[in-house]
Amino acid sequence: MKTIKKSHLAEWLNTVAQGYDLFGPALDGVVQFKRVESSDQLVFDYANSVVPPKNLFLPQTECLFAFRREGGSIILEPSGGLERERVLFGIRPCDARSLLLLDKVFNGDLEDTYYQEKRRGTTLVGLACPSPPQRTCFCTSMGIDPLSPEGVDILLTDLGDRYLVEVTTEKGEELVEGLFLPSAEGEKPKGEKGKSLEGIEEKISSLWEDEYWRELSRRCLGCGICTYLCPTCRCFDLTDVGSTLGGKRFRCWDSCMFADFTRMASGVNPRPTGKERVRQRYFDKFSYFPEQYGVLGCVGCGRCSQYCPVGIDIRTIINEVMARGAK
Amino acid sequence: MEQELREIVRKLLQEGAIEYFIGYAEGVEPLHTTPCFIEREEQVQALIWSPLCPYNLARYLHQMKNEAGKVGLVVKGCDARAIVELVKGNQIQRERVVVVGVPCQGQVDLAKLEEAFQGVEAVEGKGDTFLVTVGEKVHRVEKERLWREKCFSCKHPISFEYDFVLGEMSPLLLARGSESEFAMVEELERLSVEERRAFWRAQFERCIRCYACRDICYACYCQECIFESRAPRWLEKITTPLDNQTYHLIRAWHMVGRCIDCGECERVCPMSIPLRLLYKKVEKEVEQLFDYEAGMRVEEVPPLVTFQVDDLDLVTQESS
Repeated sequence: MKTIKKSHLAEWLNTVAQGYDLFGPALDGVVQFKRVESSDQLVFDYANSVVPPKNLFLPQTECLFAFRREGGSIILEPSGGLERERVLFGIRPCDARSLLLLDKVFNGDLEDTYYQEKRRGTTLVGLACPSPPQRTCFCTSMGIDPLSPEGVDILLTDLGDRYLVEVTTEKGEELVEGLFLPSAEGEKPKGEKGKSLEGIEEKISSLWEDEYWRELSRRCLGCGICTYLCPTCRCFDLTDVGSTLGGKRFRCWDSCMFADFTRMASGVNPRPTGKERVRQRYFDKFSYFPEQYGVLGCVGCGRCSQYCPVGIDIRTIINEVMARGAK
Repeated sequence: MEQELREIVRKLLQEGAIEYFIGYAEGVEPLHTTPCFIEREEQVQALIWSPLCPYNLARYLHQMKNEAGKVGLVVKGCDARAIVELVKGNQIQRERVVVVGVPCQGQVDLAKLEEAFQGVEAVEGKGDTFLVTVGEKVHRVEKERLWREKCFSCKHPISFEYDFVLGEMSPLLLARGSESEFAMVEELERLSVEERRAFWRAQFERCIRCYACRDICYACYCQECIFESRAPRWLEKITTPLDNQTYHLIRAWHMVGRCIDCGECERVCPMSIPLRLLYKKVEKEVEQLFDYEAGMRVEEVPPLVTFQVDDLDLVTQESS
């Protein structure tokens, strides 16, 4: 087992910050993954960020290109890409899985160059989760091990006065090159196994017209918290700012919880009430995503439950689906 | 008190006096309660009341416009003012709402609670203290240690617009009074314009425009919100600090004379933007300019809905 002393970690991160743009958990009102100049700005005692790290790969507001009319033609200018390679420190295993899921969407049959460039240009240094987990955590039920290096280039696991260092990719090797990582005796702690949700896809599919969605939608306010803070929600809207003479095209996060999300130019809205909108979100996680990509679309980070303004909890919904759905 | 509440609701449903009742229920874990809609007698057991019931349930009365019949709900003193405002704004008819008032002993701030204790199972109010149950142990904690900020300057712990009352309406909190109500605003007002601008810019910069502050607000009941209008498009989804600031300032203007300081906007903000501070400023201006407090009496006319010849000219600061 390779390890690094806690007292050496900050020093190493400072070295990293010289060669890369370093991002990590920092306090700005709340814990957020932010660009930092040095490790002094990082917080180490945190459960997880409020906004998931998806915003570093699919920013909430992203300029795709600028356009202007010149003579008879229209000139397009691509937006600037990454200036330097990036290192994201402190990503949790649930969020690391979420990036693997987003890869299926943005790196699959259709290639999204904006997303890809950021993914390729970023090395992920994960932090295994502390025990006990947060009240709202349930990653184990989504088949995730909170101590797993899945999806990251390096995983650090807290062993008291030092971290266990697991390097799983070449990108990771590059980052620790020349760094002395003393070996230590012992074994890596084991993660827990969660509840089995076998058959949830079929069960939720049998509940399309169930009364439950209406009940749920009565409480739901239709705000964007659950989708914006969800590491796998990925919907966006395109907006042109400027005039026909010139301007910029932006891509901005959008939310299926908003009433205008599916409203068409004619005014017709195929998801006219909260019932259809609430149902959409859970069908996406537990039916559409598995159908399209073969894996559940939720990672159990618990942010939607933790921050829902009216205490709607995705775990209750999962339990209801498992209980009500066709056997 | 819970038993009393359940009996009232059972009776209302039995008599067919209401279509449904809006109250509080337990969530998945003990610290997270959730609003609930009780339609049938056998559901009344779900109703609870504790210092962990922050929701202003009057927000759910917006749905009444599309419904027939009466609705019942539980209100704390701060929430009762929302009912007064909804009546004033012709959003509901008072006679269609059955109000069950609870004497609120102050609500618990979850962040403060979680910082003080791990693994809390229940919180109960008792006199000047909260009883916090952790495992086998019950801790007695001074209320001031766990109160939500808004409870410190609570002027109306007792719901005054009610049809039923739970327990005794004791004026426990009244003595602590309102002397420091605007202290936080005044502190900010002492800063220079540049400093204030920098302060708010830093706050709004992290806004993710989830609109939870709007959607939780009892007073946001426009049929089409200005932020959703497509033509004209007043605000895009772009989240630059300026766009975010525009969003918050437009909303603040729309709250003039209507904000009742239920503090729900600040509670729900996932990014910890001090929205109550913004709305307290609005409240203070209204009080000073018009000697008016929202949500007090149904007969009062809101200052921005009326015009009088001797109104203060806000530019010259003179009465015409």
